[in-house]
Order: sequence, then structure tokens, then C-alpha cells
Amino acid sequence: MAPATQFEVAQPPQDAISALAFGPGTSRRLLVSSWDKNVYLYEVSSGAEEATLVRTFEHRAPVLDVCFGASPDEAYTAGIDHQVKKIDLATGDQTVLSKHSEAVRCVVFSAQHSILISASWDCTLHVHNISHPSQPPLAIPLPGKPHALAASPTKLVVAMTARLVHIYDLPALAAAVDPSSPSRQPPQPWQQRESSLKFLTRAVACMPNDAGYATSSIEGRVAVEWFDDSPESQARKYAFKCHRQAAPEDEGGGDIVYPVNSLAFHPVHGTFASGGGDGTVALWDAEAKRRMRQYQRFPESVAALGFSGDGRLLAIGVCPGFETGMEDYSGEGRTKLFIRELGESEAKGKGSK
Amino acid sequence: MGKKKRGHPDIEELLARPWCYYCERDFEDLKLLISHQKAKHFKCERCGKRLNTAGGLSVHMNQVHKETLQCVENALPNRSGLDVEIFGMEGVPEDILQQHNQRIIQNFYTAQAERQKVTGNPPRGQAGGHGPAKKIKYETPEEIKKRLAEHRAKLAAQKAAAANGAPPPTAPADGSAPAQGAPPFLPPQPGYPYPAAGVAPVPGVPVVPPYGAAPGFPAPAGAFPPGPSPPPGATAPFALPARPPSGAAGAPPYFYGAGAPPPGYPGGAPPAVPASDAAATGDSIDQLIRMAEAGIKPAAAPAKNGAEEAAGAGEKKKKGARMVYADTDVSPEEKMAMLPRYRWVESAAA
Repeated sequence: MAPATQFEVAQPPQDAISALAFGPGTSRRLLVSSWDKNVYLYEVSSGAEEATLVRTFEHRAPVLDVCFGASPDEAYTAGIDHQVKKIDLATGDQTVLSKHSEAVRCVVFSAQHSILISASWDCTLHVHNISHPSQPPLAIPLPGKPHALAASPTKLVVAMTARLVHIYDLPALAAAVDPSSPSRQPPQPWQQRESSLKFLTRAVACMPNDAGYATSSIEGRVAVEWFDDSPESQARKYAFKCHRQAAPEDEGGGDIVYPVNSLAFHPVHGTFASGGGDGTVALWDAEAKRRMRQYQRFPESVAALGFSGDGRLLAIGVCPGFETGMEDYSGEGRTKLFIRELGESEAKGKGSK
Repeated sequence: MGKKKRGHPDIEELLARPWCYYCERDFEDLKLLISHQKAKHFKCERCGKRLNTAGGLSVHMNQVHKETLQCVENALPNRSGLDVEIFGMEGVPEDILQQHNQRIIQNFYTAQAERQKVTGNPPRGQAGGHGPAKKIKYETPEEIKKRLAEHRAKLAAQKAAAANGAPPPTAPADGSAPAQGAPPFLPPQPGYPYPAAGVAPVPGVPVVPPYGAAPGFPAPAGAFPPGPSPPPGATAPFALPARPPSGAAGAPPYFYGAGAPPPGYPGGAPPAVPASDAAATGDSIDQLIRMAEAGIKPAAAPAKNGAEEAAGAGEKKKKGARMVYADTDVSPEEKMAMLPRYRWVESAAA
């Protein structure tokens, strides 16, 4: 009803969406990585309610994650082909930054510290010093397979199998890859935690104000935690159920529980969005512990979410969800990309009013 | 619907509850309904002001924000129109009112029938003993013996087929074979993680659900592994005593024939019986008969085996949740990456 509008992008990826990211600052560029081995670059025109496909960047294998670098012309990708790549979005040049020994699951760029962190199923993190691309990345061994990675201004949260969560201090990581640093010893995690959720972690997102982070699991639940490990702060953490649906009575009732595939914090208001296998996107006020909004159901599972740097746009990647027992999967023809222009106070929490 | 709070209210009470035209939710009293409508349907998206009616909100939007209200928020798809002026229960069109009452009445009677089926209690005010649901439970020893014979014959056939290396025959759909709630050759299912998680809560991690959610997990749905939904008609041949039409019907606790028990079966001692072991088969058949004679539903059987299930297997059965993705070690992406469609094989040259 308000000026909030939502539109579907005309040329979505051919197959399932793995991740999406808006450019830094006021950039209207949107990168989408897909299982169809391509990374798509869109330009969202303000007001005209459309996003045009600028170009695509083909990879050797499906791309599991994508992020922007320091400028809107620089991107990094994580591929199933074990490679972490840098892409020059203007020229289309692709440079291999490092090679893991398994598929690379996530990449995160920290603009504050000019380092790129990649996480791979070979149970390592690679920390790249972007200012010194010739320098080999620093490998940090992990106790489990990483499934989600997120960075706040000073912290890096790595969620792994067996419900492990490690938090690294980004300045320490940056210091370790500084060429003048004598040691190049992999730094120890700043904190080691166990996930508050009882099931496999699905997504992690950090609060833009550096206070904490949210994690979600395959079992329709989201937890909000704080970095500060004082008992008072830790007592504030909480978790809640979401992205569930009552099963029809004739199927035995109860709930159908969907995975929460994606989390994204609003860069301005500090509220966050969650996207689930039930095809819904909900906006939450982490402070007031309230759901602010739940948008109309999308035709398929929500795979990825991302706010633009100014918080005016929310991109929603929609494709069929992988479910237990599936022996075949294809997102072909059912993958869609929506962009929602948020009303001024749409994502504003009650607490900050 | 709030029914659980006070046992099972009678139909008059249910019909008297005020309910919301826009979302069909019902409330304890009118005041609650009105505050619900103000908060959910008549709240201005721009400034948060709560209006009394959709018309009021429309005027407000027009005058204050210079915008036009298109539809009522959070409404059911066909109820979001601005043409009807609703305040509390006032203004609800007669036909919608009738529809709602119909629905309530229907729900009430199906729920009641279901309860009677489950408990075996006669409806209120009637002499007990011969409810319609009760009749189905009755099975003569002859019938049971007949089923037993048929079942043994089938097992023998399966065994023979397995010995010949041929794919085992699928279950006949003629309604004569017992325990056909699920296909006998169910592929192994990943373990259902609920009971374990419920028994061993995370130490030192207080999870405070902010929205009134229970801190623990809901009791498992009879602690069944979440089997695939049964093929159409698969529940029909289930010739045991009547059971409520629940999802659990698709996964009876007994897996006969060559099918392997699902790993991590929560019952502790999986009662699945290898087809080659005829004596053991006889034992569990006998148990089945004893159960049938005692009028015990087979669903209750695993409760005997697993102590932690005893609490959940009975009346809380309905509360069970089914996870769309239940693998707690391997992420969906890893599974997808293993599919031939997406798999990456390092070429020899590289």
C-alpha cells in the first residue's frame, strides 16, 4: 500500500541461486551467484522498478557465494571447483586468488581491514590480503566443515558442522596477513562457542553495529546472540521458532518445519530479515524481539536475501529448496529474483523510534 | 482456536466466540477482537496509527500521507477488500457469517469424531459401547488368523523373489495384506533427531523463546521417523483397528519384509524382521495379534521399547513436527554438490 513496491527481475539465473549481494554504499549493483556456474551482475534502476542484467561471468563449476570488494567494480566468488576468484566487473577479468582442496562455501570481504576470507569444505579458512595479491593466503584450520560465514566491522563469525561457532577478531586476522608481520601464524579464535540452536546451522549474519549476530538452523529457528561474553550480555541471547507451517489435519497436523536459509541485517535500522524454505520473508526487530512484518509467500523456497548498502532495497532469491530424500534437484525455470523497495519506515524497529 | 485451553468446549461456546472477518481468527471476547483488528488490519503502515475501521484508515492515509489504501493488510486473500466496513463483529456480510459458522460446526464435529475414535469414548450423553468408531476395532480371531496366513504367504513369496534376485513384488492393493501402512521396501531414512535432542538439552545455553514458544521441543509425533508420505491408498489396506488419519499412519512402527530398518530408529530395538527369519516373524506377528485382541493400536507399540517416547506417543501425537530438511551433519549445498548435475571433477589436465 505504501510506496513499498516489489518487482520480479526479468532475467533471473537459469538455475538455483546460491547467494546474492548488493554493492557497497549507495551502489545499485546486485551480484547473484548461481548453481548454473554463472555470476550475474544486475543494475537496479531507482524508481523505474526494473533491474537490468549488465553481464554474466561464467565459471567452471557452480558458484556457492559471491561478495563485492572495496569498490562496486570488484567482486569475489567461491566455487565448487575449489577456487576463490576475483572478478573485475568492468573488464570481466577473472583471477584465481587461492585454491582450496574442496569446494569453497563462502567468501566474505571486510572493507574495514581490506581482507578477504574464504571458507571451504576442506575445513580451512583462507585469509587474503587484498593489497598484496601476490602474497599467498594464510590458511587457518577449522575443527569442522564451515557452512556459513559473516563479518561485522571487527568480528568474523564462522558456523560449522557439529554446531560449532568460532568468532575471529578481524584486526588480528588483518595483522597476521600484513607483509610486515613477522610470524604469519594463524591466529586463534577470539571466542569458541556452541550454537544455541540444536540443529545444523544454515546462515549467519552480523549486526551492523558490531554488537552481535544472528544464526539460523535447518529446523525453523533463529538465534540472536551478542559478542560481548559478559554474563549480562549472554543472558540477553534468545532464540525463536519461525518459518513453520501447520500441516493439514488429514496429514496428522503438527508443524512442517522449514530451514531458515538466509539472514540479512538492515544496514541502517539494525533489524533483520529471514528467508525460509516455506517461501516467506519476515522482518524482525532484534531489540524488541518482535516480528515486524511477514511478506506474502513466494512461489518457492527463499534461498538468499540481501539489503542494499543504503537499506532501501531488499533482494530476494527464490528457488526450490533441497529437501530430505531428494535424489534429483533442479532449479531450472523455477528460480526467480525479486527486488523489494522498502518504505521509509518499513524496516524500522519500534525500539529505535 | 484456543480450544486446548479449556478441554473441549461445546459447539455453542465455539459459535459464540467473536472472530475476525479479515483473518478468520477467533477471540475470547469482543475487546480482544477489536484490538486485534486495530493492530493487524487497521494500522497505518507509515506512522503506526491505529484506526478503528478500514474506511478510517483509508481516510487517514489519504489526508495524512496523501496515499491511497489499496487493501486491508494481513487479510485472507479474498477478504482484503475495502468495500465492507468492519468493526469488531459488525458489518460482516450474512453469507460470510454463515460460511464461518458452517466451518466451525464442521470442524467441531470432525474433531469430536476424531477424539471418539482415539479415546473410544462414546459421545456425551449417550450410553457407551457402540459408537461407530468402536465397531471398526472389532476383529474376530478367525479374521486375524486369516490375515496372518496371508501375511506369511506374502513373506514367503518375497523371500522367494529375493532369493531369485528379482525385485520384490510390491504390496498388493487388495486390502488383504496386513501392516501395509507403508511400502515394505522403504529406503533407509535418516534418523529422526528429535528424541535425542529433547533428552539431552544443550548444557549451559539458555534458549529464551521470546514469543511464548516452549523452550524445549514439541514432543515427537509418536517419535516416528519421518517417512515419505504413503502412496495413495496405502492407508486403506491397513486392516488393523481404526486409527486417526494422521501422518504417522504412513510410517507404522513395523517394517516387514526385506526393507532395512531406518538407521537411528528411535525405538531402541527396531522391530523390523528380516524376511529370512521366519520364526522371528512369527513372534512379531503374534505380538500384532495380541495387540489387536487387546485393542491396542500398533502405534503405541514403540512406546514400550523406548522410555523417552512413552510421554510423546500418546495424546501428544498430533504435535509432532516434520522437518523438510533433517540431515544434521550434511548441508543441503553439500548434497547438491554431489549430484551429477553440479558435481565438479578436477580434470586430469589441471
